[in-house]
Amino acid sequence: MALLQISEPGQSTVPHQHRYSAGIDLGTTNSLVASVRSGVADTLADVDGQHLLPSIVHYGDERILVGQSAQKMQSVDPLNTLSSVKRLMGRGIDDVSQLGEVLPYEFIADADSNVPRIQTRSGNVSAIEVSAEILKTLASQAEQTLGDELSGVVITVPAYFDDAQRQATRDAAKLAKLNVLRLLNEPTAAAVAYGLDAQKDGIIAVYDLGGGTFDISILRLNKGIFEVMATGGDSSLGGDDMDNAIGEWILAQSKFQNIDAVLSRRILIAARAAKESLTDEEKAEISIQQGDASWQGSIDRVQLDELIRPLVKKTLTPCRRVLRDANISKQDIDEVILVGGSTRVALVRQMVTEFFEHEPMCELDPDRVVAIGAAIQADVLVGNKPDSEMLLLDVLPLSLSIETMGGLSEKIISRNTPIPVAKAQEFTTFKDGQTSMSIHVVQGERELISDCRSLARFELRGFPPKVAGAARIRVTYQVDADGLMSVRAEETSSGVAAHIDVKPSYGLTDAEIETMLRESMDHAQGDIAARMLKEQQVEARRVIEAIDAALISDGDALLSKTEINDIRQVRGQLEQDMESACADRLKKSIKAMEKASEAYVARRMNTSVKEALAGKQIDEVKL
Amino acid sequence: MQTLDLKQSYFELFGLDLEFDIDLKQLHAEQQRLQAIFHPDRFVNASEQEKRLSVQQASWVNEGYETLSNPVKRARYMLQLSGLELNDESETTSDTVFLMEQIAIREEIDECRSNADPLSCCNHIATKLRSRSHQFGSEFVAGFSRGDLEAARLSSRKMQFVQRILDQLMDLQIELEEELEI
Repeated sequence: MALLQISEPGQSTVPHQHRYSAGIDLGTTNSLVASVRSGVADTLADVDGQHLLPSIVHYGDERILVGQSAQKMQSVDPLNTLSSVKRLMGRGIDDVSQLGEVLPYEFIADADSNVPRIQTRSGNVSAIEVSAEILKTLASQAEQTLGDELSGVVITVPAYFDDAQRQATRDAAKLAKLNVLRLLNEPTAAAVAYGLDAQKDGIIAVYDLGGGTFDISILRLNKGIFEVMATGGDSSLGGDDMDNAIGEWILAQSKFQNIDAVLSRRILIAARAAKESLTDEEKAEISIQQGDASWQGSIDRVQLDELIRPLVKKTLTPCRRVLRDANISKQDIDEVILVGGSTRVALVRQMVTEFFEHEPMCELDPDRVVAIGAAIQADVLVGNKPDSEMLLLDVLPLSLSIETMGGLSEKIISRNTPIPVAKAQEFTTFKDGQTSMSIHVVQGERELISDCRSLARFELRGFPPKVAGAARIRVTYQVDADGLMSVRAEETSSGVAAHIDVKPSYGLTDAEIETMLRESMDHAQGDIAARMLKEQQVEARRVIEAIDAALISDGDALLSKTEINDIRQVRGQLEQDMESACADRLKKSIKAMEKASEAYVARRMNTSVKEALAGKQIDEVKL
Repeated sequence: MQTLDLKQSYFELFGLDLEFDIDLKQLHAEQQRLQAIFHPDRFVNASEQEKRLSVQQASWVNEGYETLSNPVKRARYMLQLSGLELNDESETTSDTVFLMEQIAIREEIDECRSNADPLSCCNHIATKLRSRSHQFGSEFVAGFSRGDLEAARLSSRKMQFVQRILDQLMDLQIELEEELEI
């Protein structure tokens, strides 16, 4: 494409190979995407100027809506409008039924799968697929803004997410066809956003209370290295629980009869609105209408505090534990950072300040800080900052153990061990001729296996039969930098690698992901058309920018008035076609632009060659 | 890509002399220096093989750091390096004086709850336990340096016992703090 080659000799149109990347905060309530542009990290807005994408997906008869448009369907069509699915990530059907009071959906247990699915009008979907829709929307929003494809993304997860929840997040990204550079813990991301700003060293506590998860992390900052000293939390505690507490209070006050899904959704929406307005106001009015029944009332700050105090108190237990695990006292902490929308609640701020005896920092928007930190790391990981010293050292949030005799757990890797990490363990056979054994891996801090979270069962097969106790099987547990676990096994006396059959306790199998990807391909005709159009739009924008720049620099010198007018006219048409929804038309228009500027391009080439040669001896010029 | 000699000991890896009393600051600084070189984040755009190597080496550095930063694990590791085979489960102690002392401390901890000032009671016991742990550490050093690995093993075992009680005491402390809302 000739126009792109218009440049001064010795100068390239692309000064350095910049690769586009983004940080994605996949939240319970809202999700965001951020990117580093011209050295500055910021969240990216959608076409309506909104930075926060509600994490809500509506499954309609014909199409899927994500974000604001889905949110509007929530009170009309609650059963097909899925929200807060982050709480279901990596969860089994048993966990989900416990959440049943909170979420109104119809869950389906599939005999062939470990993943519970929600019944919707357009089929049964898992939380992973719902999350993939949100990720797709954010990625395309970023690509639209940046004008190019993303070469990689960093997705944030609560630090306290276990292996199954992390794996589910990775699977969602796979379904959304994103290249994940790293899963980054949310508190660490927040610390990066603050830390790089302040260029300060010291110990910081990050208190992150989101819509559905709570995290507390203690980090040590030293010359660009962000080292997590300890992390803790509750992966099922957040603003949603506050909404529910208020909702129950409204139910008790209103004495509504016949509560259906629509009414309970309306009550929850009213509860959240009341909570949010009590951030600035002393009193909030509530009004709920359902058919003939209606209720009007009000709630004040004192009442709210009483309802949510037990929930906020629950966050302080992990706070105490991380201080102990980090082996520090409150006095050692230099800064406290507040993250997550729920830290806007006055009682949260008050209790955190009292607990840490420290006025928390909240200069950065608590909703956006995590995505911004993720964008900064994505920019480094994708290779745009080769000189950066930034390094994020994370830890394993929950101990990994295996099941031993009598249903007890034996710790293999303790919580708060820096990752990546590997631990090897030797087993022996207890029967003559034994050629297989099974290992049950769990995650959690409790003594009893049944109190921990089952991750996977490994069946080791194919080691040589020997007398009892003679075989030595070395099992290595590996946790990578994303906090994800893998296992390998070897019979050390013979060097035979044992076969491992993994049965993940939760999550999708590879085959399930394959099927989903294939199905999404079948449904992707529309996606492909949209992608082609987008590519042409990007191309058209490039062409227009190039011709504009050229006209400014030497248009008057090289072209006649008529020639300039002709080029301007074709350019105008191209700009118009950019808005059209037809990729073919745009392609033709780009071709026309190239043709119209052919002569001009040739003249520019000649001139620059002449200029380059002017005043030089022949032997100085190497062609 | 640089590679580490996985055959060297953790002491060699972190540039430390093979002794129980190590400079923890140096250990920490070396861990960070090595992670800055080998962490998988430094190899995001590298080949699959380099990525695997990086995970392996960074993991090894972290395992070494974990082992040496914890006094009990450090002592046990030193015994292993000296060729002693250790098995936590079958190891018992027949030191009755030590066992009596353990039982007494556990009773003291149980009584803390009913104490008028349970937190200072906890702190008092914790201080006592820490000084015992130090003492067993010195005994370990003495045994190890005169080549009496069996005596050193017993001392390390006692350190392990004391550490476990300290962990339980910390759990109790958190529980009490919650009840008292501190």
